Amino acid sequence: MVKQDSNIPFRAYRARTGQVISMYKKNYYLQAILATVLAFAVTANASAQNPHKEKRKAKSEVQDSIRQLYEVTVTSHRQPRTIATSQTLSGTDLQALSTTSVADALKYFAGVQIKDYGGLGGLKTVNVRSLGAQHVGVYVDGIRLTNAQNGTVDLGKFSLSSMESVSLYNANKLDYCQSASEYASGATVYLQTRRPTSDSVFVQLRNASFHTWMVKANAQFNWRGWQGFIDGEYCTSRGDYPFRYHSEYEDTVGRRANSDIRYGRVEAALFRGGFSSHIYYYDSERGCPGGIVRRLSDKYTNVGREWDRDFFVQASYQARFLEKNSIKINAKYANEYLRYNTKYPENQNTPRVDNHYRQQDAYAAFCYAAMPWPWLTLSTSYDIRYSFLSADLKRFEDVKRLDQKQVFAAQVNWKGIQAAASVLHQHYSDDTFVNAGAADPLDRWTPAASLAYTLAGVTLRGWYKQIFRAPTLNDLYYTQSGNRNLKPEYTKQFNIGLEYHYQGPETMGSRQGWAVDVQADVYWNKVENRIVCLPMKGTYTWSMMNYGQTFCRGLNATLKGHLRTGQWYFSLLNSITWQRDVDRTDPEDEDMYDKPICYAPSFSTGVTAIASWRSLQFTTSYLYVGQRMWSKADPEDILDPYHNIDMKLQYNTTAGQLYHLFSGKSQPRLLTQTSLGLCLEVCDVLDIQYEHIPRYPMPGRNYKLTLSIGI
Amino acid sequence: MKQCFTLLLLTLFIYSARAEERIIVLNEGMWQADNGRLTYFENGSVVSNQWFRDKNGRKLGDTPNDIIQVNDDLIAIAINWSNIVQFITPSGYAVAAIEDIPNNRRLCSDGKFVYVTSYGHECATIYGMRYFTRGFVAKIDLSNYRVVATCEVGYEPEGIALYDGRLFVANTGGYAEQEGDHDYETTVSIVNAATMTVEKVIDTHIPNLFGEMSQSGRYLCINSPGDYYETEACGLIFDCEQALTSSDCFVRFNYPATYSCTTIDGNFLVVGSNFSYLTGQYEFSYLTINPMQMMKSRGASGLTRALPGSIGTDFAAMSQPYGIYVNPYTGYIYGTDAGSFEGAGYLYQWSPVGQLLGKHKVYINPGHFLAVAPAGYYVGIGEVASRKTADGKWYDLHGRATDRTPLQRGNIYIKDGRKTLFTK
Repeated sequence: MVKQDSNIPFRAYRARTGQVISMYKKNYYLQAILATVLAFAVTANASAQNPHKEKRKAKSEVQDSIRQLYEVTVTSHRQPRTIATSQTLSGTDLQALSTTSVADALKYFAGVQIKDYGGLGGLKTVNVRSLGAQHVGVYVDGIRLTNAQNGTVDLGKFSLSSMESVSLYNANKLDYCQSASEYASGATVYLQTRRPTSDSVFVQLRNASFHTWMVKANAQFNWRGWQGFIDGEYCTSRGDYPFRYHSEYEDTVGRRANSDIRYGRVEAALFRGGFSSHIYYYDSERGCPGGIVRRLSDKYTNVGREWDRDFFVQASYQARFLEKNSIKINAKYANEYLRYNTKYPENQNTPRVDNHYRQQDAYAAFCYAAMPWPWLTLSTSYDIRYSFLSADLKRFEDVKRLDQKQVFAAQVNWKGIQAAASVLHQHYSDDTFVNAGAADPLDRWTPAASLAYTLAGVTLRGWYKQIFRAPTLNDLYYTQSGNRNLKPEYTKQFNIGLEYHYQGPETMGSRQGWAVDVQADVYWNKVENRIVCLPMKGTYTWSMMNYGQTFCRGLNATLKGHLRTGQWYFSLLNSITWQRDVDRTDPEDEDMYDKPICYAPSFSTGVTAIASWRSLQFTTSYLYVGQRMWSKADPEDILDPYHNIDMKLQYNTTAGQLYHLFSGKSQPRLLTQTSLGLCLEVCDVLDIQYEHIPRYPMPGRNYKLTLSIGI
Repeated sequence: MKQCFTLLLLTLFIYSARAEERIIVLNEGMWQADNGRLTYFENGSVVSNQWFRDKNGRKLGDTPNDIIQVNDDLIAIAINWSNIVQFITPSGYAVAAIEDIPNNRRLCSDGKFVYVTSYGHECATIYGMRYFTRGFVAKIDLSNYRVVATCEVGYEPEGIALYDGRLFVANTGGYAEQEGDHDYETTVSIVNAATMTVEKVIDTHIPNLFGEMSQSGRYLCINSPGDYYETEACGLIFDCEQALTSSDCFVRFNYPATYSCTTIDGNFLVVGSNFSYLTGQYEFSYLTINPMQMMKSRGASGLTRALPGSIGTDFAAMSQPYGIYVNPYTGYIYGTDAGSFEGAGYLYQWSPVGQLLGKHKVYINPGHFLAVAPAGYYVGIGEVASRKTADGKWYDLHGRATDRTPLQRGNIYIKDGRKTLFTK
């Protein structure tokens, strides 16, 4: 048995020459989640605001709390607009999942592939329908999260506990008054911040496997039409999880090293009517472990470490005027800092660097929508974004980018027919003295169209969307890999789907009834001029290149069911993805042409079942991901299929109830207002060793125990 | 009948000639995927693309970077990202592995010691740890597989060759773009192999002496990819003999020598690729170089812009050329195409005159080669060195009899149990 371990920085320094080949980091983290108890805490305190309720007996107060929990769920459940292909997790369902980041929640959606380098700090990217991670736009309250450098968003930095819902839209969301940016990605993920409905304070403590501790605090209010919260979290984890590679030619065991992380996050939001605002700060330090490769000892671990500091502030205002007109104004400023250091004696395999990257982003959008007739909506939007990137790399100078977008859209809703069409204009211009100067400005128009017909609750829909991703600043200007001649990477998507909603007999407040949602979509998409980092022919160098075309056909299906009876609540969420994503680059290349793309499984499915009785809730999630190739060189180069089962058990009560249980006395008022929650999660129950990227093992079975106290 | 007999003889001859073709190809695999592999190629077909695993029941390691024959029963492999120098027998069985030399790059040997260049900054030796500001060369004693001496050279030393008891080390400074505290190196360090001290440093004023370095007797073919920006790539012919006495010991030519190898008659075959980030363009060159003629004429002659037979055109048709090699025992020529990087590469085989004989699927990034000596070819360095009777035969320092390969002027050989410089 050979014990092996290694830690290699993310940023791919080439083994051969030590040249930087990949983009700026990524990492993601364990974010605080769990606010299963939050709803409880919120509602427990809500009662304190009502003098009438204070007079009630303790037992009925507890009952009220439970009732309020259901109300939160109901209000957060939105009917999706069936013209768009969308999936949403919200309210109880979202909080019931055993998740540590937004990426974890997304993996239960159909059509989503996760790439995860393992551990709390490991890079996690989300790829939708094989378009590529950079075609997925992520929006917090309708404003896009951006990264000027590499174009991908670190979903791990966002807490689910402050979210009301997570939604995935293939193509466009198709709201009536949308910013142009919302039309500008192949797939969109919407994170909707929860608007508090009451005043409360709660604190949460967590201990988890691999020496992980987390503390979280949240205070929120709802006062005279103003709602707001402040949410803070601190987490530290050694991340030293065990792993094992076992095959006929290998038996490697070890513990992940340099996989530690520490982070703090503070965010606050303020809302009133059509006004919303959000301020956010995140600070982290983490180790960047590498692939587990053959080593004779743990002597050299190739330590690289990374520090992040992210800040943004954003605000949005939406209003209707003259009955038939709406406007929306968005504004945002973001500032991100990254430091990457490899100057450690344990690291003998890469260049010794200590680099600092800074980027700033200012954004504004003006949207206007008019509804001249009830069946027609016309809208337009102008978005402007200014990005500034600096880094202390050799041969690198400041890069500035001005990105402007306009959209013209129309939507028709007439007798069961829904139709939408839009054209998006994008203009990018850069300014830099790096090497041969800035790339030529990019100016393109792209269309999208959707059509749906609903009859007897069944909607048949079809849509087409063409969109591109502009080369990022890294792609164009990065030292020893940037290529200023890159063309945009185009995607063309075509989708036909069916959707059916059935709402059983349910009356609000009775907490009885059931509902079923079913949808299935088949799709075809094509990606042209993929932007990839390739080794240059015989030069020992790498460069960003436009290379390759892919063609993908697939089927996404989801089934959702809810049943509420008495004090029981059951929920079942199921998603299925089948797809075939093939290379269409070079018809003469027998080894590659029409062969499956690496990392794309042909089948995956997820099932989440939730059962709750009064304030006890049990969730089981099952995920299956089929076999994937990771290289096309040898049929043996596959990633094995894996099953992943997570379980979560949580119980909420009040201190008063416990007091009553143990002492038999009536509950003091202070204690009845104090909510308590206990939650145990077991992830990867079967302890299956699997990986998303070869030689980057995922943690096996692990536990989380969380205690919450709120008033 | 006579014709049939002749045909039979001819077939037997061809078969026996091809049976001598035994090549090990070192596939680098993908970085950090732990999938470096050996391909074993014999008699015109690939026997295995996972030869090390077949023989030893385990994997080779991550990103192997060089393979050499040490003596009659030992082969050394530098496995860069695994920090391992792996020793195997010519039959493929693992003998020993050490990780005392992190970030190892290239190897050479005199049969008793293996010399390794390293980009790293520390080395475990029998005298304890040694630390370096720049890169270093380590000397492994094959009697115990331990590092017995080290010598600091330039930043990021790459190619290494042995001539007349000296190690000629091409320094690259390849981390210059990232580290910022040094520039690209422009030097060749001459290290005394016995004492492991730097005797002399030749400054070529040409940056980044990186890549494959081939040796033909006293001559080296060194590549400079330039800095990929303003400074263009080029190649050097370096005269080791002359370098011992003079700094005027090399000739620059205007084509890169990205991949090179030495033919049986002492010429260099070169495939060059010139690339600049400023233009995003690159261009290929295919050269045959007679180093003696080039040195004598100071670069005026000795360079032919062609490779034998169809080799040049076959290389031009490749997706991504990744190596060239001549079997020193038979003269058969090999080249590799790394293909699409994600998929398998291909091994091309040509006859000594450059006629394409076949194309064989190997594994990812096939970059390095080693011909296994035909059976009975090795006498054994121990026996050669201790042989007292005068048989008049010349053996090279690896214990190989030279009766089937021409002696190269300026090389050291063993004759009648004594080291002798071949000067004719």
